[in-house]
Amino acid sequence: MFPSGHIPERYQGSERTSVIATAIVFLALATASCLWAFPDSSKATEELPAGAMQARATTSCLECHEARIILQQRLTKPAWTKEVDKMVKWGALVDAADRDALIDYLSTNFNPDQPPYDPPRSALEKATVRRK
Amino acid sequence: MNSRRKFLSQITQAALVSGALPSVWSWGSAFPENGIEIPGEDDLIVRSYRFLDLETPVKFFDTWLTPVPHFFVRNHMNEPSELNPEEWKLAIGGEVEKPLTISLGELSKIETHSVVNTLECAGNGRALQRPQVPGIQWGKGAVSTARFSGPRLRDVLQRAGLKASGKHVMFRGLDEVPGKVPPFIRSIPIEKALDADTLIATHMNGIPLSKHHGFPARALVPGWIGAASCKWLTEIKILESEFVGNFMSPGYRFPNQPGKPGEAIKPEDTHPLTALNVKSVIAGPGDGDSIKPGKISVDGAAWAGEADIVKVEVSTDAGASWSPAKLGHQQARYAWRLWHYEWRASKGDYAVMSRASDSQGRTQPPTPVWNPSGYLNNAIDQVRIHVS
Repeated sequence: MFPSGHIPERYQGSERTSVIATAIVFLALATASCLWAFPDSSKATEELPAGAMQARATTSCLECHEARIILQQRLTKPAWTKEVDKMVKWGALVDAADRDALIDYLSTNFNPDQPPYDPPRSALEKATVRRK
Repeated sequence: MNSRRKFLSQITQAALVSGALPSVWSWGSAFPENGIEIPGEDDLIVRSYRFLDLETPVKFFDTWLTPVPHFFVRNHMNEPSELNPEEWKLAIGGEVEKPLTISLGELSKIETHSVVNTLECAGNGRALQRPQVPGIQWGKGAVSTARFSGPRLRDVLQRAGLKASGKHVMFRGLDEVPGKVPPFIRSIPIEKALDADTLIATHMNGIPLSKHHGFPARALVPGWIGAASCKWLTEIKILESEFVGNFMSPGYRFPNQPGKPGEAIKPEDTHPLTALNVKSVIAGPGDGDSIKPGKISVDGAAWAGEADIVKVEVSTDAGASWSPAKLGHQQARYAWRLWHYEWRASKGDYAVMSRASDSQGRTQPPTPVWNPSGYLNNAIDQVRIHVS
């Protein structure tokens, strides 16, 4: 799968050993899953911050995309106004009476004065790693 | 097993591993390691999980070909929920003599060509532009390099018989569009479409495309912004003029003259983004690293779209003086060059910079060229390190 000379060690292994490894991992994990549940250390999708508009922003925005797309923005109020109006045009359901409050909520929480958002990392499924 | 069966079996297997099809391994997701479990994607920065946007940490810019699990992912929409290679068809129509559809098996019988290409999202480096602009806040890693293989686009188009009126080639993917979001459809000029290196790629680094990278087939428009290389390709249409749609305008356009933040730019004063510009990134040392005095290796990658890298220079004194870096021996027309610079450092705090120049006479600017969407940020790269 990798060009020669560029095969990270973790991806190496013959098909036979990977089949055996997979069987071992399958049995180990199947057993473990019967005994206890591991805590979920990283959430796949994030939530929007608390505030009067949290619930409505969740309904309006997160129907189509997850919260991180919002959490990472650092925009001024005029820029948020343009974004909200664009999203309404693209199908976001925002009650006209909520528009200004939604823009306030976003520009209060995600403006250029906030520190950058710290994103999580991806991890291969354990079974996939063993299988390769 | 005949070659078609073998091919379909091979891609079905790859799709299974990459999560394109329902997988018996999905139970594994109940056991997270340190990070969000995303099948096939290893240690990438999760800019967004839905839609999936994954950035390659710059530390992985240490191999000429990026292993697929480390290759950045840019999705504009939801990935196709169902992809059956047996049923997949590619339709070719518009300004052609005989519109046709091609199955994956038929596509696999057309002569294959390979291109090593550095694929970069036009928005790479957007997070570093000031003032900040909306969009995925990519750092430096929405770029990777792979060997893409598949039939030449022109060989497929010629089967349908191009009419002289055909001037642009439109790509539509199977992206699933939420709400009333405009579909992700773009076009490229016919000259680029007929280039011998423009492909309908089915493979990446010798294996069938994973789902995240456009299984079972994607356009591969080498040297151009990533958005030109439409994933999950399902329709090609030959047009008389450029496709009209959100992702051609106002999306993916650049001002003809540099603008200033806050200034409105008229659509007629912009042009569609095509080829990438000249750029380099420092893979190591990492920004903020503390290092012992002595010999320090500064390494990275440099690329220039359709042009060749001719020089990479490194500064260890915040840009006051520059020294040439050694370019790696692996090279291909559209691929990045790895580079290396050895530096003997004494104690102190340093701003280490890299600056690339290309065969078109372009050199990286000191600061990004400001534009309202934060595209093509190719400012001189910089890391701050502490030697003690």
